[in-house]
Amino acid sequence: MLDERELAISPIVQSSVQHNAQTISNIRSLTASLFGVAAGTLGLESYPGFIFYLAASLLVSVLIFAFRAEGKASEYFHSPLGDLWLGEVFGGMSGFVLTWTLFYGLVRA
Amino acid sequence: MTLISTSLNGLGLVLLTHAVYSAHEHSLLPTTAALPLDITIELLAAVLLLCIGIVLASPDLKPIKWSVWGGKLSREEHKAAEKAGDVTERDPYEQLDVRRGFLDIRSKRQDFADWVREGATK
Repeated sequence: MLDERELAISPIVQSSVQHNAQTISNIRSLTASLFGVAAGTLGLESYPGFIFYLAASLLVSVLIFAFRAEGKASEYFHSPLGDLWLGEVFGGMSGFVLTWTLFYGLVRA
Repeated sequence: MTLISTSLNGLGLVLLTHAVYSAHEHSLLPTTAALPLDITIELLAAVLLLCIGIVLASPDLKPIKWSVWGGKLSREEHKAAEKAGDVTERDPYEQLDVRRGFLDIRSKRQDFADWVREGATK
């Protein structure tokens, strides 16, 4: 798909790629902490908590796809699956676990 | 767009605070019943509102293909010139669009000669 000829005809703008990755990363880390608050308050434990996080991340991906990428993911991301749908999902997980355990302890202790 | 995202975030934060406080108060009751349904719904609604607000508040994505990106910058050049702040991204086709004409060497010589003559008379 993205062979050398394709890249020679329409080169990739590096600063835009960085800007998009930064934007996705910011959204992910903010929403991950938010999901931690929700999961801790709901009193989720072990697997249901992680499933909640993955489902909520998918929802955020859909929101980004609809509102920010305007349905044209390949125009804004080099590889839409890795950069938009799965981008930074596992990077935000540590923030999720942090607020998850904090709010579980605060609300349920 | 800023107004929508700010109001969504504000409403979401209020609902979230209220839901978490309610859950905390519920946990202080002597009964060990599960979290009431209305608190759960309020919490999930707050999270949804905050998600939409955060996504809408994030900066616009930029196209990664050079032609699309350059064309967009080129079209928005006039607006950007009025704003006159961000100089990190300029129209990449500027050197093709704005080119100097040939130097009119005769008129330049004439100007110089006039200038020299003027200096001599003063």
